[in-house]
Amino acid sequence: MTGLALLVLVLGAAIFGPFLAPYDPQAFHPTVRLQGPSAAHWLGTDQFGRDLLSRLLNGAPSTIFFGLGATLLGVGAGSVIGVIAGTAGGWIDSIIMRILDGLLAVPELLFTLLIVTILGGGMGQAMLAVAIAFTPGMARIARSSVLSIRTREYVLAAVARGEPSHYIVLREVLPNAAGPIIVESTIRVAFAIMIGATLGFLGLGAQPPSTEWGLMVAEARQFMFRNAWTVAVPGVAIAMAAMGFNLFGDALRDSLDPRRSH
Amino acid sequence: MTLGYLVRRLLAVILVLVVVTFAVFAITMILPGNAAVMILGEYGTDEAVAALERRLGLDRPWYIQYFDWFGGVVVGDFGQSLRLSQPVADVVGDAFWNSASLAVTALMSVTIIAIPLGVLAAIKRGTGSDLIIGIFSYIGASMPEFVTATLLLVFLAGPALGLLPAGGFIALNESIGGFASHVVLPAATLGLILTAHISRQVRSEMSEVLASDYIRAARLKGLRERRVIRRHALPNSLAPAVAVISLDMGYLLGGIIVVEEIFAWPGLGRLLILALENRDLPVIQAITLLLAAVYALSNLLSDIVIAMLDPRVRYA
Amino acid sequence: MAGKTTSHAAKRPVLEVAGYSLSYETATGPLHALKNIDLRVEHGQTHGLVGESGSGKSSLAWSILRYLPENAVENDGKILLSGESLRDRTLQQILEIRGRRISMVFQDPSTSLNPAMRLGEQLSEVLIRHRGLTPQEALEESEAALDRTGISKPKDMLRRYPHEASGGEKQRVVIATAFACNPELIIFDEPTTALDIITAQQILELFNQLQDETSISALYISHDLGLVSRVADSVSVINAGEIVESGPRGEVFRTPRDSYTKALLDAVPDPTHWLGVAAPPPETPALMTAKAITVEYGRQSRVAQLLAPKPTHVGAQDVSLEVRKGELVGLVGESGSGKSTMAKVLSGLQDFDGAVCFGDRSYARLGEIDRAYRRAVQIVFQHPDASLNPRQRVRQILSRPLKLYDIVPPEQRAERVAELLKKVRLPVEFADRFPHQLSGGEKQRVAIARAFAAEPELVICDEITAALDVSVQASVADLLVSLQNQTGTACLFITHDLNLVRQLAHRICVMQRGRLVDAFARDDAEAADRNPYTRALLKAVPPPASQAV
Repeated sequence: MTGLALLVLVLGAAIFGPFLAPYDPQAFHPTVRLQGPSAAHWLGTDQFGRDLLSRLLNGAPSTIFFGLGATLLGVGAGSVIGVIAGTAGGWIDSIIMRILDGLLAVPELLFTLLIVTILGGGMGQAMLAVAIAFTPGMARIARSSVLSIRTREYVLAAVARGEPSHYIVLREVLPNAAGPIIVESTIRVAFAIMIGATLGFLGLGAQPPSTEWGLMVAEARQFMFRNAWTVAVPGVAIAMAAMGFNLFGDALRDSLDPRRSH
Repeated sequence: MTLGYLVRRLLAVILVLVVVTFAVFAITMILPGNAAVMILGEYGTDEAVAALERRLGLDRPWYIQYFDWFGGVVVGDFGQSLRLSQPVADVVGDAFWNSASLAVTALMSVTIIAIPLGVLAAIKRGTGSDLIIGIFSYIGASMPEFVTATLLLVFLAGPALGLLPAGGFIALNESIGGFASHVVLPAATLGLILTAHISRQVRSEMSEVLASDYIRAARLKGLRERRVIRRHALPNSLAPAVAVISLDMGYLLGGIIVVEEIFAWPGLGRLLILALENRDLPVIQAITLLLAAVYALSNLLSDIVIAMLDPRVRYA
Repeated sequence: MAGKTTSHAAKRPVLEVAGYSLSYETATGPLHALKNIDLRVEHGQTHGLVGESGSGKSSLAWSILRYLPENAVENDGKILLSGESLRDRTLQQILEIRGRRISMVFQDPSTSLNPAMRLGEQLSEVLIRHRGLTPQEALEESEAALDRTGISKPKDMLRRYPHEASGGEKQRVVIATAFACNPELIIFDEPTTALDIITAQQILELFNQLQDETSISALYISHDLGLVSRVADSVSVINAGEIVESGPRGEVFRTPRDSYTKALLDAVPDPTHWLGVAAPPPETPALMTAKAITVEYGRQSRVAQLLAPKPTHVGAQDVSLEVRKGELVGLVGESGSGKSTMAKVLSGLQDFDGAVCFGDRSYARLGEIDRAYRRAVQIVFQHPDASLNPRQRVRQILSRPLKLYDIVPPEQRAERVAELLKKVRLPVEFADRFPHQLSGGEKQRVAIARAFAAEPELVICDEITAALDVSVQASVADLLVSLQNQTGTACLFITHDLNLVRQLAHRICVMQRGRLVDAFARDDAEAADRNPYTRALLKAVPPPASQAV
């Protein structure tokens, strides 16, 4: 339930953040540079005197929706591939599995870096890169979920009856296979947020003047010893966002566990 | 675990790696701009760029470039770095050992800490200790490497405490103390997220084992709990623990790139980022291949270890 | 051969439970598992505890051994071992008692043995712990113990891992472990339920033999009345946490007083009590004929064979059988006999070599099985929990065949669903329910309704009663027969329960290790020309409890 609370907070910030920011995130306040929290600036200011709270709220959508968007794309593509592999079986399945094995041999962050370099830096490109990097992993999970449902007796009953394939896939298999896929997606959002922030940090994702949180950390690095808040604020925010999705995903997994429903 | 099985697995690994090289090659071919453009920068005229391309062999058709490179790899020649005009093997070789020393340090510390932590959390499930370990692992698993690194730097390497150097590297064979002081922060950064993952997985595997029928039977035989845990529960959770560690190698190999960048650790990660910026194709190829190979081999190794630990798998 | 009758009047009962109640604290309130239990096991005797699932019989075993979860709430009832109270002991003291003064034999030897530890060590660890032997002495003693339980090469078995031993061998190891420290009481929790019929019979004989040799006192828990009648001297019957009847074996089984006991006894299949429909006249043509069916699992393409050869496994070998119109044919065998393979082949789920003839068509491969066949031949599976789509309501589940085969036009489907529910003796309101809102027996009825909805000519029942309680089994079997009566549908009834099949089937086929070894009419079940395997099976099946001596 903590997860849910965090999640609500995080999503709220993502949607409403920019509107709630007390100051213009780009506005300089040279007289109050690199200050800790104060009454005027609740989270302090950065090297240009910009209000950290405002920058944080302003950057929330970039960071959070990046995670959601990349995951949605990756889960969508991966699930389709995985379901096809799982339901078709035979040589189609074998070929897809071999290709997946090959793609999965490359560590995910590395894969993302390679793709993002092709596409060039920028939020959209980074999001696409992460989505592509997620696809093989999600495909594998979707496939194994479908495979395990396919051997259940109610599916066999449908096959024995002579139901058409599209009915079996859409009405018997998918509704029951969706569970593990949804749980994994939630946890993946956390991961996507983290990778997105990392890309922003490396300069390969969000570009200035965006206030995406990873970018904020990168820009503040030189000054971090003078005011730790400049890096701590966005850093902790990233962690909290990811944690919210992680906790929620775990709670989801527990509640969907069939052993508990009796 | 027959010899035939091992040979087949190795062949599968090699096949996968070939696919990987092809994929990387394809990716870099699609990259806009090439090394020649990057080296000459904005000032390169079209003729100068074309001339450089010819010299570097970048004007040949892609399949020739690929097979030429591939042929070289098979005999151990990874070509020349387009940026530095040195053999790739030299450039990558040193970086490899540097990365390895960091990775091994991180992995060893993680294994020593994470597995007992997970086991403890499972044994004391539901109590305060479990909760604390749980909170810690959630936090750890939610912090990207650069955040952990930055926070560690701020608090431990800053002028306030100045306990540890903020970056840089001293080779192990030059000074153990120097190496140690420089490796602590990067290894801790890598280690945090890995420990969080692994301890959580170990906890869940161990909990499942503790709920099994044979543990109940062992307790009902009147055996002391210490023996139940040590001789019945632990051996059955080791195999899954090894599986988890090998899965996390993927995170390790990705995270090391970021960590090396932040701490200026002269390893493969830093080299890769430079190579990507400069479109230094042979270096990109070599590093990607190397990392993928390490990942694939670590999976194979863990499969072998699991087979040795679990008598049921041994005869598969 | 039942347990001995010893004069025990002088000795105290080994186990005495008096006025004991147990409940579990759950989020939805207390769950009463045991209510005011009184139970005694006399010295040198076997006391049977009979109950169905959820009756609380296992909870009683855990309570005696003081292995209770944290949310367990006990009253001040007594649990005495040889007169000493077990309730006010510390954990340390309990650990001394477990394995040494009271031990337990569990239901499933494949889960109650540590898969990563050799069998020998699992046996000797109790000897080392409770009798203070050295590891060397313990191993020698273990070897002797295994020998006493009938293991042929005990030294060999000590070095094996559980997955390298058969079910029967593993259970013997578990029994040897329970006897190892000469306990005062051994609790047997359904020790033969997870075993094959013939293996179960052997373990039963072993139990009786050991009982004779050692005069051990035993609490024998089971849901199987027939079994209990063969081993117990006295019996208690437990229902919903309460002991409803108790007494010497002969009294309880021949003259039961409680209505639940009576219902339970009635529900046990009695082969002499015919329940089935009238046999079809001898000249009735065959409805379905299976000719020389062979199924080989794990066949690979040539490429796969080169890259990763895997051994193939024969599920069925050269099996031929036929079912005539209106007939009920029983197909019997132990696990691994191939009977489920045949079920899958005949319902169009498994590829095969050979031929299946139905009506005037003949099919030589899975691919040839057509829609007409699939409509005419329906299957009902074993596990009620898995045979219904958890995300569909009963109405959808039953309408599906109606829609697929266009049995009735759309506007009449709701009515037909209601009729089907009535036919399987379920309330019409169940149409709105989801499977998890139904009990096991109810789910199985819905599965049967689904099969009959298609108006089939042949229904294949693959162990449909195996996962159900005894009392529910009887009603499901009864339902099947009444449906057969109404519709004239033929049935292939697959089961391992020989007593049940003799109540229902006109003809019986026996399978062993993939082959059909015997086929006979029900009257000829005990004729002299039966295959020795058939005779062994019949001998291994316990007679109905009401015939207990």
